Amino acid sequence: MELLYALAVGALFGIAVYQILQRNVIRSAIGLILLGAAINLFLLSTGAYQGIVAAYEGLTGQRSDALPQALILTAIVISMGGISLVLSMLYVLSARYRTSDLDEVNKLRG
Amino acid sequence: MNEYLVLLPILLPLTGSAVALLLRKRQRLQAGWSLASMLAGLLASIGLLARVWSSGQPVVFQSGGWPAPFGVSLVGDLLSATMAVMSQTVLALGIVYALGSRDQVVRYPAFYPLFLTLAAGLTGAMLTGDLFNLFVFAELLVFSGTILTSISDDRFGTEAAFKYFYMSLLASAFLLLAVGSLYVSYGTLNMADLARRIAGNPSAPLLPVAIALLIATFMVKSAVTPFHFWQPDFHTASPTAVSAMLSSVVVKLGVYGFLRMTTLLFVEQSAAVQDLLVVLGLAGIIYGGLGAVGTYNAKRMLAYSTLAQVGFILVAIGWGSRLALVAALIFTINHSLIKAALLMLAGAVASRAPVKSAAFDVVTGVGSYMPQAGLLFFLGGLALVGIPPTNGFISKMMLFRSGIEAGQLATLAAVGLVSILTLVYVVRAFQRIWWQPPAEGTRAKPAGDRLLAPALLIGAVLLLGLWPEPLVRLAEATAAWLGDPENYIRAVLGG
Repeated sequence: MELLYALAVGALFGIAVYQILQRNVIRSAIGLILLGAAINLFLLSTGAYQGIVAAYEGLTGQRSDALPQALILTAIVISMGGISLVLSMLYVLSARYRTSDLDEVNKLRG
Repeated sequence: MNEYLVLLPILLPLTGSAVALLLRKRQRLQAGWSLASMLAGLLASIGLLARVWSSGQPVVFQSGGWPAPFGVSLVGDLLSATMAVMSQTVLALGIVYALGSRDQVVRYPAFYPLFLTLAAGLTGAMLTGDLFNLFVFAELLVFSGTILTSISDDRFGTEAAFKYFYMSLLASAFLLLAVGSLYVSYGTLNMADLARRIAGNPSAPLLPVAIALLIATFMVKSAVTPFHFWQPDFHTASPTAVSAMLSSVVVKLGVYGFLRMTTLLFVEQSAAVQDLLVVLGLAGIIYGGLGAVGTYNAKRMLAYSTLAQVGFILVAIGWGSRLALVAALIFTINHSLIKAALLMLAGAVASRAPVKSAAFDVVTGVGSYMPQAGLLFFLGGLALVGIPPTNGFISKMMLFRSGIEAGQLATLAAVGLVSILTLVYVVRAFQRIWWQPPAEGTRAKPAGDRLLAPALLIGAVLLLGLWPEPLVRLAEATAAWLGDPENYIRAVLGG
């Protein structure tokens, strides 16, 4: 289970980084969303080794740690704001530069 | 009761921002209110610094009454308090500049609220004692800065903000991964608790990973070469009042992070980090200097110069001796004042130019219509180069003394040689704007941004150049505190 989880997080990181490096605006935004998800899963794995046991269920035996889950909640809210800001900026940029290729958004140089 | 002093410098701008949003229909009232809440925040952080200085102990606020490793602690030690006072002084003067600015952007209803959240984010990131809390405040700072730049008068503002935001989101990703790695290794996020546990078990497998990720995070925050590519664009395109903040105090968040890393969190591992910082700093000095010489725009030139100046600070942190830390702190404070003043002056010149731009082609000769700005720019330029009687001389002198003491003569020679570039680009900018006659048929606009804020900053530059003893004493005391992390840890954890 742990190995599978680790592999899944790793694969998600790989896909996310690959998508962020794409020139298409939509693809790079999707990459950012995936990166946020991958990091949240990583944070979850730092505290919840018992994947199917909820935090504080019963008070004996091994339990999941609640703190990473609180961290993830905060991180999700922040990344929601970040993604919506990115999408709105992409909208303005693609309308202003008449392109969906990020390499053409390069008027600032020197 | 005293512990609330740590909370106030964050809380006052934040509530001020919320109230300012309610006042959005009443522009003048909103601007006045924002200045008032920023000044109140500044007073609170000065009070905090005075309290820490007189009591000789860090002021710690345990939020929610939870004892240290369990709740979020806010810690005002001498380093945090000094950085908070420095930031809020410059930020308050930024609002003063915005009040006298002719940019369209300052009439935008969300401008002042965003400026105040920028202030709250920066101060909060410096005063917090919890790594995840640092992430939250850093995000607040990044979001405010991005939006302030993307609504800039400059039509490329959105492009610059977009580049910056992508880089910053990735930096936040690094920070979160570092938080996760440290949490899984040590089971805590409180910086004091972390420092104690890392010292107790320095062989955790994820520790080097966390250190590398934190270095990458702070490199992006401080725009250290090679993670700087967003910086010249971002600082050129943002509104003058904002770019003067970004290029002076906001980049100091990374400097603060490096200081905390080498003197609190990773004391045993700090040698490797410091070696890296010397190399990175040197690369930044060379690259920033050459970039500033080669560029076509006054604001862009100052943005490149920030790369070089942050490089000087990193080299000093990298040397790591007591004297070098004193030099780094003095350099940090002085550079904030100098760079904010110079960027405001460049922006004021641009506001008088026929087309609103700081490109040298456009602003050539505009200076002949504004001789007072020329005098201020001259003094600020002297400070940036490091010529007496300005505070830039004090910072360069401390840096060179600490280099000689540390025996780093080769690095020092390179640093000295490259800092001649500063003289080259400052003189060139002064010559283009104030000495050359304007091109045929171009006339400056009759009025531009007010010069009160840069005049006050240049006044501080001269004052700290002629009477540097208080600042030097403060920096020496701070460096002494940094040499004794156990004091910080005891104050936070108790016992």
